[in-house]
Amino acid sequence: MISFDFEYFKPKTIQETIHLFHSLVTKKKTPLYYSGGTEIITLGRLNLVYTDAVIDINALPEYHTIRFSEGYLVIGAGVSLTKVEEENPFPLLSKTVSEIADRTARNKISLGGNICGDIFYREAVLPLLISDSLLGIAEIDGLHYYPINKVFNREIQLQKGDFLFNILIDQTYLDLPFVSMKRRQQWNVGYPLVTICALKKDEEVRMAFSGVCPFPFRSVEMEDVFNDKSYSLEDRVRRSLQYLPKPVLNDVEGSSEYRIFVLQHTILDALQKLEGGPNV
Amino acid sequence: MEYIGKSVIRKEAFEKVTGKAKYTNDFQETGTLHAKMLISPYAHANIASIDFSEAWKIPGVKAILGDEPFPLVGEEIKDRSPIAYKRVRYHGEPVAVVVAEDPITAKKAVDAIKVSYESLPVVNSPREAFQENAVLVHENLDRYEKREGVYPVPKTNIANLDKIRKGNMEDGFRESDVVAEFQISFNPSDHAAMETRCSIAEIRADGEVIITTSSQAPFAIKKLMEWYFGIEPGKVIVKTPLVGGAYGGKAAVQLEVIAYLASKAVAGQPVKLFNSREEDMITSPVHIGLDASIKLGATKDGFLKAAEIQFLFDGGAYSDKGVDISRAGAVDCTGPYAIDHIWCDSYCMYTNHPYASAYRGYSHAEVLFAFERTMDVLAEKLNMDPLELRYKNAIRPGDTTPTQVLLSSSTVGNVPKCIERLKELMNWAEGQRMEIDDRKIRAKGISCIWKTSTFDTNATSGVILTFNPDGSINLMSGVVEIGTGTKTVLAQILAERMKMDISKIHVKMLVDTQTTPEHWKTVGSRGTLMGGRAVLNAADEAIRKLKEVASCVLRVPVEELEVADGKVYFLDNPNVFVEIKDIAYGYTFPNGNTIGGQIIASGNYTLTRMTHLDRETGKGKPGPEWAVGAQGIEVELDKRDYTYRIIKAYSVVDIGTVLNEKAARGQVMGAMSMGIAFGGRETFVFDPYGRVLNPQLRTYRPLHYGEQPEYIIEFIETPHIIAPYGARGGGEHGLLGMPAALGNCLSAALGVQLKHLPLIPELLWRAQEGWKDDIV
Repeated sequence: MISFDFEYFKPKTIQETIHLFHSLVTKKKTPLYYSGGTEIITLGRLNLVYTDAVIDINALPEYHTIRFSEGYLVIGAGVSLTKVEEENPFPLLSKTVSEIADRTARNKISLGGNICGDIFYREAVLPLLISDSLLGIAEIDGLHYYPINKVFNREIQLQKGDFLFNILIDQTYLDLPFVSMKRRQQWNVGYPLVTICALKKDEEVRMAFSGVCPFPFRSVEMEDVFNDKSYSLEDRVRRSLQYLPKPVLNDVEGSSEYRIFVLQHTILDALQKLEGGPNV
Repeated sequence: MEYIGKSVIRKEAFEKVTGKAKYTNDFQETGTLHAKMLISPYAHANIASIDFSEAWKIPGVKAILGDEPFPLVGEEIKDRSPIAYKRVRYHGEPVAVVVAEDPITAKKAVDAIKVSYESLPVVNSPREAFQENAVLVHENLDRYEKREGVYPVPKTNIANLDKIRKGNMEDGFRESDVVAEFQISFNPSDHAAMETRCSIAEIRADGEVIITTSSQAPFAIKKLMEWYFGIEPGKVIVKTPLVGGAYGGKAAVQLEVIAYLASKAVAGQPVKLFNSREEDMITSPVHIGLDASIKLGATKDGFLKAAEIQFLFDGGAYSDKGVDISRAGAVDCTGPYAIDHIWCDSYCMYTNHPYASAYRGYSHAEVLFAFERTMDVLAEKLNMDPLELRYKNAIRPGDTTPTQVLLSSSTVGNVPKCIERLKELMNWAEGQRMEIDDRKIRAKGISCIWKTSTFDTNATSGVILTFNPDGSINLMSGVVEIGTGTKTVLAQILAERMKMDISKIHVKMLVDTQTTPEHWKTVGSRGTLMGGRAVLNAADEAIRKLKEVASCVLRVPVEELEVADGKVYFLDNPNVFVEIKDIAYGYTFPNGNTIGGQIIASGNYTLTRMTHLDRETGKGKPGPEWAVGAQGIEVELDKRDYTYRIIKAYSVVDIGTVLNEKAARGQVMGAMSMGIAFGGRETFVFDPYGRVLNPQLRTYRPLHYGEQPEYIIEFIETPHIIAPYGARGGGEHGLLGMPAALGNCLSAALGVQLKHLPLIPELLWRAQEGWKDDIV
């Protein structure tokens, strides 16, 4: 039950959408873009999210499509996690999103929504961080593409009114060797203690993390250590930890010291799998 | 037509699978107002001020309740204000209630209430509560009104103490060669029933109070409304439709009282109060926590001689059902073993945690985690196989229970036989612990179980049967259909006795205390025994009445008549018969003369020869019989990172004659699933200020489909002679041994004695790697 009232809009074009957002702001409104709606609904009922103007962007053309174009896989930000999982255009991404929430929620959660959400795990971004993907950002003067590492740092960096419209992944990344591992407090359901996505490109390992800190991240410094083969695997893992961002989470899912324990083993498993051969 | 043991599909199945079944919140009546609670963000605080002025400005607000000395309530001790007054004692406690035209308006108004709190130091565990000089949760414990047989200790946090004194402890330990001591603890948790609690109350112009509620105890509400507000029981009408899972959580009476006060505040208009999931988890009563110390003495060949036990139950901020739960814990304070010398102090402690309601098993899974873990500690000390230790000590007919009840083959199931069968099923002979490779270990753990009920000694159950013109029967019982299928089992019992087609039995699912005869409470796995005996009594009366009419019609003496297959016939010549449909509404002769009318029969049953427990020794007979069992769990554990998978879970339970095979299996399996979640994942996490950090299903996670192990369930059928067709209670038993078996299994795997629940990998890591148990 959401106790605040809001206006509802469903624009048809990107331009219309962004103009609408700015005009609502001018009218002292607090607009929010609505994609899958899972956070607006679940956090709104707890008064943790507020809006008085919902802009439903699901009518935008191409927002829900998965296609290949000019050497890129192009995924609309409105594509549901279920669709990513079922169509499986990028196995690393599909595997990773298939572990988020539960099926009923994944039917609604959009790829863009998971990346831009308030709930800080944002695991869908991990495969994108390590595949040099481009994010298509809808801005006031149209759609612009940016390398992900330019516009995503712990969370998406957007100008007010801009929104994530689609994601481009260079097709050469789609069939690289990868691992995607999620470790939870217990069994198969719940937020991650640690989620790792890694792939191997040109004999170099790339790795991104969620659950360790209150934000997802990729660390070039840690990758440098992982790829320094003058050390044993165990040493590389241990040495990499000095570059862990702060703070390490310490909450109901697990203490920070236990998370680091789990993290070490998970990195080790990931490296072993990737260095063991291409087939993971 | 034989129905005993058959997997008859439950009577409400079609309503449920088509999604049409109605639960309390599905009833919408025009003119109903909606209430919403403001709940405390603090576990212990004074309410310095509370300001409703902004809330009153919202159009559609009809009443705001709070900051008012309402009559105190509580099941045994009246220690709780239904809506907090001046002081809050747990996180989630209702502080104010808004009544408005619709739920949204009520919520908006709740958001507009301003409260200022002065926080107080908290009592964050029952062990803390038990310390001398502990912060007091209730300073004026001596001033509370209470029932007989409950003994709060003023100027302490002790809501009640129950004692078991059997034999002589000095003798017991003198006869013992080996002593094992162990201490366990775990936090309160939740029931997480699918249907969150909901109550609708209305006060009619003539003063009748109508309450519709998702409850396991509609008849108890009538009695409590008299104790709380002085309303004559006949003026309180409680209706309970289908209940979407209860597990003991709906045995407590809470929202009903608030809804009643809310209705009173709006001149009796109907008011609905429906819990959000978060409120259902912490505002409404929870699953009790426990801190227990056990000391066992045994001879060197493994015969138990003495058990010294202290339970500190975490009853939470208000005693309510906690008093009786800790009493039930004393009654069956050991596992199902023959022990001559038992000393138990079972305390219900006040803390600043959400307060407790019953939870499936009513303290038995909790107590068994303590006792059965200690049995494995003892087995290790004795260097004895834990299964062998249990087999040696298994309680048998001729032995006495902790409350000194002498058992017979009817009043207790067959523990040794359950253990024997479990041993075969688990292939125990291959060993308890096996290294699979350098990381993986397979391990097995077991627990024995038992349980009786601890009802009021005059607890009763009634049934009314009315006939329809087609000869079919309406069955009305006060048993609430909480999802266990009990009402279908009652129909089976009736069909069996009447020798009729079960499709001709119409079961009234809705309980209405004005027209449905009382069933004390739908708790403690006693629906089949009590409701079933009442059905049999009513059926006998119906048969007698049918025969009386048929006797006139057929000119055959009553003793020479038989009722079966929809007919009453002459035993010597079945061709001389009259169809029931032709006499169910009286018999009409060809000339129009009619004798008799609609046949209405009733029956009831009250538990036999129950006694109160002696205050000093606990001696007494609390329940009619003990259903027993032996359970096991097999896990595969990764030594490196302490993750594990439960491969198989076993239950061999003696629930007497199985009346509905699939229903019984479903009950046992469902209970096992809950027990695995309780043992392996579910807990409230408290911060140092006593606040629950995970009152949401995002972070509080029951077992999900796909996480379950393979379930292996077998029944041993030792009849309880006085029960309908020999059935025993079985709704809870599948849960009871799961946490202990899991603990025993993982302890064996790791070689470390695990003391806490839930058994998450982080806890195993801490236990093994020597971390202090400061967090988990």
